[in-house]
Amino acid sequence: MDPHAIEVRRLRKTYPGGIEAVKGIDFEVASGEVFGLLGPNGAGKSTTIGMLTTTISPTSGTARLAGFDVAKHPLAARRISSVVFQEPVVDRSLTGRRNLEIHARLWAVEESEAKARIAEIADTLGLSELVDRPVGTFSGGERRRLEIARALVSQPRVLFLDEPTVGLDPRIRAELLDVIAGLRARNDMTVLVTTHYLDEAERLCDRLAIIHSGRIVALDTPTALRADLGREIVELRVNGDARSVLESLRKRGIAGDDAFTVGSTLTVPLHEHTSGEAIAVVSELGVASAISTRQPTLDDVYLRLTGDRLAEAA
Amino acid sequence: MSAITASATLPTRRLGLRAQALNPLATLARRRFQLTARTPRELLVPLLTPVMFALVIAPALKSALHTNASYESFVAIGTVGLLIPLNTMFAGIGVIVDRENGAQRELLTAPIPRALLVFGNLVVALAITGLQVGVLIAVAVARRIHFSPTTSGVAWFVASAALFAIGMYAVAEILASRVPKQEEYIARVPAIAILPWFLAGSLFPITAMPVALTWVAKFLPLTHGLALMRYGLLGETTSLHTIWGMSNPTEMAGLSLAVTAAFALVLTALSIRVFTRSALR
Repeated sequence: MDPHAIEVRRLRKTYPGGIEAVKGIDFEVASGEVFGLLGPNGAGKSTTIGMLTTTISPTSGTARLAGFDVAKHPLAARRISSVVFQEPVVDRSLTGRRNLEIHARLWAVEESEAKARIAEIADTLGLSELVDRPVGTFSGGERRRLEIARALVSQPRVLFLDEPTVGLDPRIRAELLDVIAGLRARNDMTVLVTTHYLDEAERLCDRLAIIHSGRIVALDTPTALRADLGREIVELRVNGDARSVLESLRKRGIAGDDAFTVGSTLTVPLHEHTSGEAIAVVSELGVASAISTRQPTLDDVYLRLTGDRLAEAA
Repeated sequence: MSAITASATLPTRRLGLRAQALNPLATLARRRFQLTARTPRELLVPLLTPVMFALVIAPALKSALHTNASYESFVAIGTVGLLIPLNTMFAGIGVIVDRENGAQRELLTAPIPRALLVFGNLVVALAITGLQVGVLIAVAVARRIHFSPTTSGVAWFVASAALFAIGMYAVAEILASRVPKQEEYIARVPAIAILPWFLAGSLFPITAMPVALTWVAKFLPLTHGLALMRYGLLGETTSLHTIWGMSNPTEMAGLSLAVTAAFALVLTALSIRVFTRSALR
């Protein structure tokens, strides 16, 4: 049986000073899957990628890429993987092509093969006109595309994308999401992407792990994660104590265990009742200054699990 | 995009063992050279002070102190002892730039031993230092400073200069790995590159200093390096005798070469260790 493309078991990282960035996480990613680590800054996403790419040493636990233990066989693990970093990591004074060539040489791609791949990838990612210019003259989006192209030159079995769209303006971000979505077409390439953007996670990922304070608090497909919150959500702005209102709704059978409060806002996932029934009960109680209904989002999932809104936490 | 398919084959299987070791090193060295060539200050600035010494200060000292031509030769070799630390320490700045604004993190994820990153930088630092020493010697010769090289003498000179440069580059790598910012790095350069130069018999024999400092000088790698270089290019054995107090020049040169080689080897091993550990969080 083929090993998982990525297999993480009880992985933990404690930095000097006792800061626990990752607190014993477990997950596996199948070959060809696009897997997301969703969480705010400081949740442990980049530390996890650092351990998987062998630039951060795990405190305990194991991580394997295509069966290669990253601690025991780091060269083998690095040989089959590539990473696109959160910050720009390029030689700015060299041309785009030279940056790509260096990657190809270090990943032992033969020269003629590298030349063909660079031409093809540059064309696919719209870099053909730019690739012979110094990278210092590239815009942020162009540089990001170059970094993705560089990671693809070695045809990695596992591609890590660490916050690939952070810091980009909305138009460039949309373009880049198209590029990343296009990576799914590459046979057998497994992609692990970290992000704190919900739309990005929803659009790109087959499965998602929500990571909070170094722990995975939920792991499933985006659809299944949202389905846990029912078909619809009623959101109330409450006059007075939101917790006592929640208790009242629970007693009347409208709110379940997955209803939650944040400040004066009460979020009630509906499983067995309709929104009409819920609104009727709320009106009868006379406790809400505003009521709205909507579909559950990943932000609701995140909020229920962590008590924070992802956008605010990020 | 679907035309490209991911390969499960480990690429290195397609290459020979020698190619596996040498190709990445050549790639890293070429990259470092290209980056260095785009920052001319790394090539020119270290050369300014030593050339100034050879062209202006040594003749001025000769005139002011009423010394003879051999003093100019003595100081010309002494300036090599300034050029090497300055150039190698300047090369170390590139390591910080790589870490802060360059592609070092990408290189750390490459399927190559991380020691190769240090060796790739070292190869270029050594080549540029060699070029600059050549320029300095050529300038000195053009200024009619006299050297008396023999084949074996040149070999002693080259071995000594190369080993000292390797050791000093290792110092630069260690410092670059340990300090977070360029400013902090540059602030430490004078203490490392220039202070020992004053103590190592660059401008005057080490016996001209107080006894305690003479003993300190005997333990400096640069003192051994300069004594060897003078032995090689000038045929002068006084500097070696001052260190070792022996009569056989070849034996003394061998001992000083061993000291310089030990300096290069130990510091290089340490620099790889420090770089690898600092790169791995």
